[in-house]
Amino acid sequence: MNAISKKAAALFWAAAIALCLGVGFYQIGQGLYIKAKAEVAQILLERAWQRTLTNGHPHKAWPWADAWPVAKLEVPTLGKSQIVLSNASGEALAFGPGHLLGSPLPGAGGTSVIAGHRDTHFSFLRDLKRDDTVTLTTSDGVTLRYSVGGIEIADARHTQIDPGAQMGIALVTCYPFDETARGPLRYIVFAGPKPDTI
Amino acid sequence: MPHTSRRTASAGSRPDRSQPFALFLFVVCVSLFVLVSFSQHQARADSAGLVRMADVESGALLLNSTEPGKYVPAPLLATDVQIDVTGPIARARVTQHFINPGDGWVEGKYIFPLPENAAVDTLKMVIGNRVIEGQIKEKQEARQAYEEARAEGRRASLVEQQRPNVFTNSVANIGPKETIVIQIEYQQTVRQDADAFSLRFPMVVAPRYIPMNATPQLVDFKPGDGGWGEILPPEEPLDLEQPPVLHPDMGKINPVSLAISLDAGFALGSVESAHHEIALIRDGPRKAKLTLAEELTPANKDFELVWKPVAASAPTAALFRERVGDEDYILVMLTPPAGQTLPKAKPREIILVIDNSGSMSGPSIVQAKQSLLWALDRLTPADTFNVIRFDHTMTVLFPQAVAAHGENLDVARRYVRGLSAQGGTEMLPALKASLIDPNATDNSRLRQVVFLTDGAIYNERELFTEITNNLGRSRIFTVGIGSAPNSYFMARAAEAGRGTFTHIGSETQVAERMSVLFEKLQNPVMTDIAASWPDGRNTQSWPNPVPDLYKGEPIVLSARMPKAEGTLTLKGELAGAPWEIRLPLDAGETRPGIGKLWARRKIEQLEADARIEGDWQKHDDGILKTALGHHLVSRLTSLVAVDVTPARPDGEALTRHDMPVNLPEGWDYEKVFGGEAMPTAKRAALHAAPPPMLAMAAMAPAAETMAPGLALPQTSTDAASLIRGGLLALMLATLLAAMRWLQRQWAHTALPGRRL
Repeated sequence: MNAISKKAAALFWAAAIALCLGVGFYQIGQGLYIKAKAEVAQILLERAWQRTLTNGHPHKAWPWADAWPVAKLEVPTLGKSQIVLSNASGEALAFGPGHLLGSPLPGAGGTSVIAGHRDTHFSFLRDLKRDDTVTLTTSDGVTLRYSVGGIEIADARHTQIDPGAQMGIALVTCYPFDETARGPLRYIVFAGPKPDTI
Repeated sequence: MPHTSRRTASAGSRPDRSQPFALFLFVVCVSLFVLVSFSQHQARADSAGLVRMADVESGALLLNSTEPGKYVPAPLLATDVQIDVTGPIARARVTQHFINPGDGWVEGKYIFPLPENAAVDTLKMVIGNRVIEGQIKEKQEARQAYEEARAEGRRASLVEQQRPNVFTNSVANIGPKETIVIQIEYQQTVRQDADAFSLRFPMVVAPRYIPMNATPQLVDFKPGDGGWGEILPPEEPLDLEQPPVLHPDMGKINPVSLAISLDAGFALGSVESAHHEIALIRDGPRKAKLTLAEELTPANKDFELVWKPVAASAPTAALFRERVGDEDYILVMLTPPAGQTLPKAKPREIILVIDNSGSMSGPSIVQAKQSLLWALDRLTPADTFNVIRFDHTMTVLFPQAVAAHGENLDVARRYVRGLSAQGGTEMLPALKASLIDPNATDNSRLRQVVFLTDGAIYNERELFTEITNNLGRSRIFTVGIGSAPNSYFMARAAEAGRGTFTHIGSETQVAERMSVLFEKLQNPVMTDIAASWPDGRNTQSWPNPVPDLYKGEPIVLSARMPKAEGTLTLKGELAGAPWEIRLPLDAGETRPGIGKLWARRKIEQLEADARIEGDWQKHDDGILKTALGHHLVSRLTSLVAVDVTPARPDGEALTRHDMPVNLPEGWDYEKVFGGEAMPTAKRAALHAAPPPMLAMAAMAPAAETMAPGLALPQTSTDAASLIRGGLLALMLATLLAAMRWLQRQWAHTALPGRRL
């Protein structure tokens, strides 16, 4: 009786500690995995992008990928460079910013919308200021230069972007940047073509 | 011995205390874990359910107010409405009289949101007894002409498309106490729901709306505003800032007279107005004229007219024509039989294709699986079926279509429930597999392919080629899954596949939308419809190919040809028997607006092409040419009317501050500008009118596919909250370990102490 309750108590304690340890390491592991995936994927995507640049065809970075590079986004002043993927599904966004289906591709007129995660690829959006230069290289090797115009914070439940409104790009990420819970707010950076380049 | 008994007592009582405590901690850990993962899932689901651009169906002249971005509606004195309904087309002429009750010269903006498919083609401005006609011009050119006139003190008016169903009309230089008459004409297609045709004219006046110039990119929809959006202000200040003036008496007078001439295109059954008394005069079996029984004061309910055909046992056809320039435009309408006289449907072979690629992960795959399971439940034993799933690989469940009974259905259900979303999207092999038809000549069965996907694909062209070349007797019904599927591709794929497109945006829509789809699938009225035009080479017609005729749908063909003569032959299969109808093209009744309908569809088609190809410049020329040619306001064209003689004397400014704000008596500022601006009934009407997707996909590109807005995706990861949660759990583990250690320390130190 005595020995059994003691044993049971010890077992409970061990189980509780083990569970907390397990959950803790699992979650941290998952979290770091997301960050690592975001970083490593860009290296693989860069390789696929180089192949795309040589022949203009879409190349997937790994055979089972659901998205492929369509453009390269760079912010020279911040030293940022990212490969933009062909869609903005949750899967694709884990690996890189994605181009929204239904918005035109960069350089094709209208507003190209590119979305990225606020805590990985697009965390730099908070550092973008008016008149900063953003460049986009399309799959045919053309580099388009944009300058940041307006920055908006909008509620995604009631807001949509009109892809036909204006020539330019819109970079979208979640807002506020330091929030960990998912919310409805989006941080949108509009950039129009730089006047000196057509 | 007493020691041992003591020890027993204490050891026995201690687990009694610590055991529940450990249990408690255990529960805390588990619930923490559950809570964290639940909140993550919860947040994921939040990304769906975005509000779409709703119809904005009422208009008002807005005068700029002192508060930037806020406008005061000028009182609307009187409205005359004349609507001509020709088959599926309604042409409306709205004449509205506005007054500037102030003592200064003002610029006003008239906002007139219209139903989807409405095409604005005419603007007239009446000053005294002169009528100034609006000219169609390229958007920039029109704006320039307007601004020049405004600066020079001439009266001018400019109609621009803000969004495909929201237009603005700016009116410059309205003099003190002056009345300006604005006449706008637009055309729209009549809404059809099963055998009921309906038309709505918005009558509710002056709700809040904040217009902006041509550069808005974001439209903000507040939850309770029933589709009234707010276009977020751009960086630069507003154009004009005159304070508004409203005469106290003007706000209350708002008589509306309305007349409709109805030519339904079929034998008319009942004609009813939902909210208003009407005076109806029948003019033969197909026509009627009606007016409002009395002038409405105030106009506070939308006018809605519903008319039904007399039940017929076979489809009837109607033909209208119009000559514009050197070309003839034709509109053909085929109406399926209504009511109980429906021909018996054939058994079907249904191929259900589900996309389980990575882009479907999250809510999308859940919706897709639910939809597919729903479909399986609706199969009858006479049907045969097969299931195909694809990501970058593909599985065909049965070697060939099998009978839809117990065991086979169970196998399919189990299979579908086990699917999870991962991998790439290779749609072509799945599409090919779904179109492989071992009994291609078997006419006793209908072959229907239902394709559930988000359409995240890159090889549209190959897919279209496959559909066009290998469709055979199959019909493709696309079901777009998720909050932002590639609707453009899917609507076009369904069109090429002679089926329809259905959009399912959330789990709650699965049953409703799928039942509408299956109602159609089970009730094909006429299949294999082919239109052969006398001058086939020079005829452009839409839709092409002609979709099948389902219960509750009309087929509307719109065509352009150099000269409408000869005979159009329409062939099809009705309840297993061949059906044919010949329409002499020169016999159709001439009606204005047929050309505009064709042009409107051509522009829609070009806009859709631009979206599918992701290239907006490529098709701009075509859109511009069509819009200019047919006098239509579009994304690239505007109507502008400019008076030749200056009205405002040189010295007087187009005032910005001379006019004090003077709200009419009884007008509560909060009510004018607050959320209560729109009556509840109208708000409900706006919400309760989702576009009938299937009918519209058959008639014209569906409204949702034309909605220009892009939903903003969810763009945060779980990483931060995962790491935070993980650290918390580790801290808890440390805490637990520490407590356990302390407890044991206490146990060891306490006992020797007691021994003394």
